[in-house]
Amino acid sequence: MSAAVRLQLEDFSLDAEVAALREHSKRIGGIATFLGCARDFSEGRDVHEIAFEAHHGMALAELLRLRDEAIARFDLIDARIVHRLGTVRAGDNIVLIVAGAEHRAPAFAACRWLIDELKARTPIWKKEITPQGESWVTPHP
Amino acid sequence: MINVLFFGPVAERAGTRQIALDFREGLRWQDVRDTLRVRHPEAFEIVAIVAVNGQRVGEQDAAPLADGAEIVFMSAFSGG
Repeated sequence: MSAAVRLQLEDFSLDAEVAALREHSKRIGGIATFLGCARDFSEGRDVHEIAFEAHHGMALAELLRLRDEAIARFDLIDARIVHRLGTVRAGDNIVLIVAGAEHRAPAFAACRWLIDELKARTPIWKKEITPQGESWVTPHP
Repeated sequence: MINVLFFGPVAERAGTRQIALDFREGLRWQDVRDTLRVRHPEAFEIVAIVAVNGQRVGEQDAAPLADGAEIVFMSAFSGG
């Protein structure tokens, strides 16, 4: 089974990550997912690709901390976080969060908390590649 | 040596991803910033987060650096 927290160049499978979470425990009654995708339009421009780069060591450590914090804070049974690096095309997957709990409410809450915290705390940067040129993305709330 | 790393937009503005500086006793991360800010003012305009040896630091953290320390000057994150 792949690691529960990963930074990787290649695409991931939502089905495989949910299945991996379900293998962890049959006590899980609710699974919430967040799938972040590359949009083909941003700030009034067409976007062809998005390039991601990270401080790999710090980013992975932060994602591991986030998973641990979410499990404790929301009483999750398990959680998985996968974020891609390198260049993705419009329409491709970027990030996946899967949160499993006994009931739906903590799973939903954890999923929302995890993506918000990931954006604020994880040293990853993205650059949009458009027909007009390339530009680094300013964080959105 | 002190190993300084830049990523993303900071690296692009600095025109480099890595700088090695000579170590001296008593050197603090703020001293490194002040030195490099003169060389790369555009890059340091967008530096919002600093980490020493993988740990985020603030202005109040003034411990001397050890030889071999890694300092990362980073802009606000934009992953996800």
